[in-house]
Parts: sequence; structure tokens; C-alpha cells
Amino acid sequence: MRTATSYSRPIPLLAIVLVALAVHGPLLMMQLPANSFDTNFHIFFASHYVHHWFNPWNEKWFAGFSQTTYPPLTHQWIALLSNVVGLQMGYMLVQLIGVLLLPVGVYRFAKIWVDERSASYAALGSIFLGALAFLVYQAGQLATVCSAALYLNALPYFYDWMMQGSGRALLKGVVVSLTAAAAHHVTLIFGVVFFAGPVLWIACLDAKRERASASVGGVLGRAVVFGALVSGGVAIVLLPYWITILQHPIRQMPIPHDSRNNYLLHSMTAINYFVIPYGALILALPFIFLRGGSPRLRPLLVGFWLAFIFGLGGTTPLPRWLLGRAFEILTFERFAFWATLLAMPIVGALAVELLDRFQARGAVGLSLAAVGTLGAALAWLAVNPYRSTGATDVQPVIAFLNRDGHDAYRYITLGFGSELAKVSTYTDAGSVDGDYNSARLLPEMTKYGSAQLTNSKFYGAAGMDSLRAMLKHANRYGLKYIFVHDPYYEPLLTFVGWRKIETFDNGQITAWSEDDIVPAHRINSDAMPAPWEGIMWGILPIGVSVLAIFLELLLPTVREVVVPVEVPARVQGHYVA
Amino acid sequence: MKFILPITLVVATVVLMGLGLMGYGQSRTALGIAEGSALPGLTPNPDTPDKALHNVLLELQRRNWDRAYADLSKTSGVDEQDFIERWRGMNGSLRSFSNLESFDTRPMHETSEEADYRVHLLWSTPVGPVQDVRDFHLTRVGNEWKVVWPKVTIPNVPAQVVPVNYLRWDLVTGTSGEEWGAHNIDAPHVRIISMNAVNTAEGTVIMGEAVNEDTVPAFVTVNATLVDGSGNTIDEESSFDKIDHVLLPKQVTPYRVDFPSTSLNKVKNVRMDIKATLVPASADPVIGVTNQKLETDAQGHAVLHGDLLNESGQTVNIPHVIASFYDNNGKVVWVSDGYVERALLPQGSEAFAVEIPKSVAGEVHNFHVVVNQYSLKS
Repeated sequence: MRTATSYSRPIPLLAIVLVALAVHGPLLMMQLPANSFDTNFHIFFASHYVHHWFNPWNEKWFAGFSQTTYPPLTHQWIALLSNVVGLQMGYMLVQLIGVLLLPVGVYRFAKIWVDERSASYAALGSIFLGALAFLVYQAGQLATVCSAALYLNALPYFYDWMMQGSGRALLKGVVVSLTAAAAHHVTLIFGVVFFAGPVLWIACLDAKRERASASVGGVLGRAVVFGALVSGGVAIVLLPYWITILQHPIRQMPIPHDSRNNYLLHSMTAINYFVIPYGALILALPFIFLRGGSPRLRPLLVGFWLAFIFGLGGTTPLPRWLLGRAFEILTFERFAFWATLLAMPIVGALAVELLDRFQARGAVGLSLAAVGTLGAALAWLAVNPYRSTGATDVQPVIAFLNRDGHDAYRYITLGFGSELAKVSTYTDAGSVDGDYNSARLLPEMTKYGSAQLTNSKFYGAAGMDSLRAMLKHANRYGLKYIFVHDPYYEPLLTFVGWRKIETFDNGQITAWSEDDIVPAHRINSDAMPAPWEGIMWGILPIGVSVLAIFLELLLPTVREVVVPVEVPARVQGHYVA
Repeated sequence: MKFILPITLVVATVVLMGLGLMGYGQSRTALGIAEGSALPGLTPNPDTPDKALHNVLLELQRRNWDRAYADLSKTSGVDEQDFIERWRGMNGSLRSFSNLESFDTRPMHETSEEADYRVHLLWSTPVGPVQDVRDFHLTRVGNEWKVVWPKVTIPNVPAQVVPVNYLRWDLVTGTSGEEWGAHNIDAPHVRIISMNAVNTAEGTVIMGEAVNEDTVPAFVTVNATLVDGSGNTIDEESSFDKIDHVLLPKQVTPYRVDFPSTSLNKVKNVRMDIKATLVPASADPVIGVTNQKLETDAQGHAVLHGDLLNESGQTVNIPHVIASFYDNNGKVVWVSDGYVERALLPQGSEAFAVEIPKSVAGEVHNFHVVVNQYSLKS
């Protein structure tokens, strides 16, 4: 009986946050994401802010590019923290904050749809999501995770504002939304459809049932006000980004990405982008669809289904139809993450049903499912075919570039994968390559359907053509050094007249050079942001995040909207709390 | 009412997945990463020769060797190891660095029991895309078609001693910090001995020959700058891989500099520049060129065929053939190059073929072939 009572209470939010800290804290302090795909990229961006807070023009990649092409919030926080703990640990701390904010956001978001007890289980479950582990430890999508967490925290304010017209909710909702946009704009844009759409829908349904302080028209009017304020705010806070994107829209050739595959025809892709992110949630899919059919959960089910279909990448043609050319620019693992977040309120309700029905056995089953999902995602780090083949010691490369005036020339790496960003972070030399596709403007890279030069071979003929084009113009860019960590590229370098000059790390890395290359000079670009844009970029994104923190601390939520939630009749009798 | 939305969404999902399987929304994929295979039941049944061949080539493209081998006819005389090695390449050859990027199958002859297909294969290699044409024979086994993979017998050459007595030049410097070229002594004397500029559909091409007139090896690069009537530079390019960069004393190399998308009509002047650096070099490996003949292939292309013979004792992993073609007056009218897919084993030979444009083929009176090489040991 004592067991039944303890299972029947909502789990305190503080306990959930502590569980998140206990699970992810050690993993992050061990720097498990250090070898993920994007971690070095984020650290590289942050390192620029350390030295040039108000100048987003970064000469270290692509012979110069603007960091206003990527929202800066997470990078600027890493830059700030790095003054105390260093860049690497700064990254881990910001990621940890994002991970801790996520269950809080899921809890608050879930309370819009289900009772507090189910919401608490939804929040607890979100800590163990395979998609979260995938993004944090394998993909290194810091901004996506942080932005989603912030956005989930903003949505309850949006709902409260629509339901009650509370000015406090409006203010906090807008500021937290702007903070989410400053972390990752794509999350906010798609979040409008996947997350805010269902919240608006349920607010209208609640107004129709006279649970709101306004009519349906009033709710819609408040939603318009909220939307207008957020849109205006995002336009201002990220103004340099919009200027850049309007000036240089992404017109480069599509770059292949495995998340756009048809998962039914590529089993390994299916494991990586479906089985691992969803984990045990795959077993819950029938329940999600069945329970999602209840009147209150219908908007959530529609949002989940849309994100779920998008998360399947090229398995269905719907994303391509709806996104058009953007389909070839986006990657789709983040949609699976959003789908799992949208499913969590329903999964929370499932957990409550299982606990009420099976008590301790239910708890054990759910625990195994949660731990198994997280464990599988972590184990996948070591066995997935996309992982890097081994740790590369890039220190000799960095040391080479930083000595004897070698940094007067540009360089590229071949076969370094995401380690390219690590080299770039710690050397003064510039590269014509870079690990951020959207910022590329050099024709040698945009004309071909390939991404980083360092990964050229994975993009087939297009990738090698891009590399050849760059090598042909080595003198134009002052490209004198090439560091090779994959013998695949050595025949090309030999035949086009480059010579091996040094070997590092017991021959794992070789340095190649070409004679008669003139030192690198600054490449003029119209993409260089104006000084006032740099000042805006250095003040507003970090400013809204600080404001959000103050508002959360100084303006505590006075009351929340209490919405009667339909509870399955079969389990009502078990409630004792 | 409660089940209408879930059922609708599930049905929509299934329909959308069905459309996806029919090919709607397909995307390019990255190469060289294990993608796995289609889920069970989703691989097309090989009830036609085209489907059977497509299935095998798709598995080969994805490097699913076991599945590809399982799809072959039992009458194929090849064992799995040979099959994989012949497809994937051996001895550090160009093929062993290659990934099959795409393929296009065309029926040549088909009956109810047998079929012959010609397949155009596009390989992605470190030295650029390589196109290959290969014929496949298929046979019907019950209700399914199977690819018959012929066994290729590689002669087992007994071990032999090959004397190495070729000339070799080493660079001795007084400092350990010297880079690969020697800059503190005079550069070798090299000279461009001929130059010809032509206008092609792809743009302007500058070609000719260069010679090392010195008694020491030289590492050479030819650069060309196009200048317009006002004296402004239009474009600047280098010979890139269309040259043999390492020239032994008195050795001649063809060169070609391409200016894609630049018409020769806009060009008033061409500035040529040859740069040379003293480098260590060896005359080994010596690669002989035999049986050279200019022919028209089945597709109507003018092609220079021949054989390369490795006369030395070390494996040449990737041979690179550069040929200059002359007219009646001895002027260079074209320079072509091509890479050989298979490694040249010691004392072994491999066929080569380089193509020349139709427009030039009629003018060709003579040709000269030089062989550049990449060896893993170098």
C-alpha cells in the first residue's frame, strides 16, 4: 500500500532535476561529447567570441566568414564561462544547463496537456530520451538542445497569456522565446508549427469550453499579440543574422546527409536516426496514437505526428513536398528529438497507467525501458559506423602552424572530420575550409554538392571536384599546407604537385606543401558585417538571456492555469494522492 | 470518434511510406559509409534481368559483399574472396581507393533464359571521377535472374630477383630544417619547348611540352595567365595533374592548362611561366610503354591504346599516362591523360587507354607517351 501511495504522487520537480544532474552531469564532466560531430564547431565559434566579442568576422575559416550566420547565445555563454573553466569545460557546462532545463520545460509543457503526476513522469522520462543522448553525445547539437529546452519553458507562458491575459506571462514568455531564438533560430521557426500550433489549438478549445478568461477570438487576439512581439523581438535580436541571410541566401548545391535517406531502404540509417533516438518509445507508439485521439490530446498528437514524419527524413516524401529546397539544407535528426518531446506528455500518462496497474513491476519495466534507451544510445557511440575512426592527436599540427611563420599561409586538413575545428580553435593560421556549410561563400565550395573539404571523399565525385578546384587555386588563397590523416588523398596530392614535408603522430598525420605559394592576404567580402552589427550581436542575444534569468528570479509565477484533465476511467480508482 | 484521428494518421503514415518506397523524395547519399541494406521484403524481387543486376550493383555500391555474392548465379566460377578483391581492387591500386558512385544498365541482348547487359559505372576516385563500361551476363534460375560472374585467372608468377641499378639523385643539405625543395642553390634549368592555345567547347586549353635541360632532377610546374586586349589578367591556372612534375635530366613532359568557361576569342596574350625546384629523384621504377595504337572504340571515340610494362622490382600502385599528340608539322595539337585502375606489379603489364577529342583526332600524325606514377612506398 505504501508503494501504491508513493507511485501515486507527482515526482517533485527538484528531484527530477537532480536525477538529470546525476545522469548527465558525470557524462558531461567526463567530456563524453568531446568527440561528437559538432562539439568542436561550437567551441571554435566560442573561441572567436573570447577574442573578438564585438567582431563577428572570423578569418579562420573559408578565408573569412561572418559568425552572424549562426545565433550566438550558446557560444557566447561558453566564451564567458571559458574565462573560468576553459573552452572545453565551458561547452560541457552550457550543455549541462540545457540538459537540466529540458525536464523542467517538459514538465511545464506537459502540464498543459495532462495532470501534474503524468507531467512529472514525462519530465523524468525526458532525461532518458535516446534522441537527447543522440543529440548531446553523438551529434553535439548544443544549440538545438538548449533552444528546445528554452522554448518548452516559454510555451506555458504563451498558454497562460492566452488563457488569462496575464501581462507577467506575456513578458516572460516573450523574453524566454527570444532567448530560445538567440540560441537556435531553426528551433523557434519549426517550433511555431510543431509546438506553438498545438498550444494555440488547445487554448482555443479551452476557450470554447469556457475555461479561459476570454472568448476564442480573444485567445486568438492574444496569440497574435504574442506572435507579433516575438517576431519583432527576433527580428531585432538577430538582425545581423537576417541581414546576412538576405544578402547571401543559401544557394549552394545540395549536400547529401544520411538523415535524408529512406530509412526503410538503409537499415544502418534507420538504426541511427530512428531506433536509437526513439528507443523504447517505439513500443509506446501504438499508445501514443490511441491516447492521442482523446479530445484534449488531439492537437498534441497532430504536432507529434508531423514532427515524427519529418524525423523520418526521406522515408516519406512529405518533408520534401512541404520544405521544397530547404529539404536539401536541413538535417532531420532534430525533428525526431522534437517528436519525442511532443510525445512525452502522452508517455507520461502511459507511465501513470502502467504504475497504477502494475505497481512495482510497472516501475521496474519503465525503469528498464528508460535506462535501456539511454544505454543503447550511449553504446551506439562506440559502435556506430558514423563515428570517427579514432582519436587524432592534432597538437603537432597546431604546433606546426604556430611556429616559424607558418601561420602566414592558409591550410586545409584532409580526413580530420570534426577535428578540423579543434585545429582551427588553437592555431592562428586561417583555413579555406570550415565545418559550417551555411557560411561558405567561396565558389570552389558552393559550386559542388559537398560539405567540408576535410571530408571530401564522402561526397564522391562532387567532393573530390571541390577539393581539386581548391587545390588549383591554392596560390590565390595562400594555401600552402595540407595535413592528411587519410591516405586516400595522397595520390591526388602527389599527382598535382604537392610534396610530403613532415609526418606527425607516428605517421598518422602527414604535412604536405607546395612551393612558390605567396603568403595569404585578406580576401575582401561583402559579407563582412558592419561595426554596428557586431555591437548588436555582442549585446542583444546575451542581453535577452540575462533578462530572462532576472525575470525568472524576480517575477515568480503567481498562479497557473488549472485545466481539468481527462483521466482514463479504468485507472481512476487507483488514485490516492 | 476517438479513433478517427489516430487511424487517419496511421493510414497517412503508411501511404506516405509507400510513396517513399516508390521513389518519391529520394536524396543523394554520402559515399563510403555503411548504410546497411533495405529492410527484409523491400528489396525488389529479381524477376527480370534488370532488377537482378540492379540488386547486385546496389549491394556492391554499399559494400555489402556477402549479400552481393549471394545474389550471383551458382554457375559463377568465382569464389567470394576473388569476387571481392576483383571488385574492390588490390595492391593499393586506384580501384582500391574508389567508390562506385552510380551506374546505368542497358540491355544488349535478352532471351527468356539468358541476357547480356552493358553497364556504365561511375567511380569516385582520389584523382577524379572515372567512367568504366562493363558487360554482364545473366541467366534465369527458376523464377529469378542471376548474374554470372566469370572467374578471372591471375597468373601466379614465381618469385624472382630484379636488380636495381637505376640512377638516383639524393639531396644533401647542411641544415636539418630544410623543406623538401632546395632553395639555397640555383634552380635546375627547365624550358618550355612548345606551346599551343586552342579553343574548345569547355573553354581555352593551353598545351605543349617542357624539358629539363639540366643534369639534375627538377620538380616543375607550368602556370599560364590569360591577358586581354587591355593588358588585364583574365584568369590564371596551373598544369595541375596534366604534367609529370618530376623530370629527370633531359626528360620531356607534356603539359596542359585548362581554363574552363574562358573563350580564346577574349584572349590577346598568354603569359607562360615554368617554375623548377631541385629535388631528390630516382629513375626507378622504369615503366615501358608498348603496343601503342590509335583506334576508334565501339562508341566512336578516338582512343590511344597501349600496354604499360613495369620493368622494375617495386609495385606501381597508380600509373598515370600523359600523352601528347602531334600534327604533321610536329606541333602539339592535344594532351590527354588517364589513370590506370589496376596496380602495375613488378615485371607485370596493364593496358591503358586515353581518349582524344573527335575534332583533333583527324589532325594527329604522331604521339608521345610519358608515365607518371604513385607508389605507396614513396
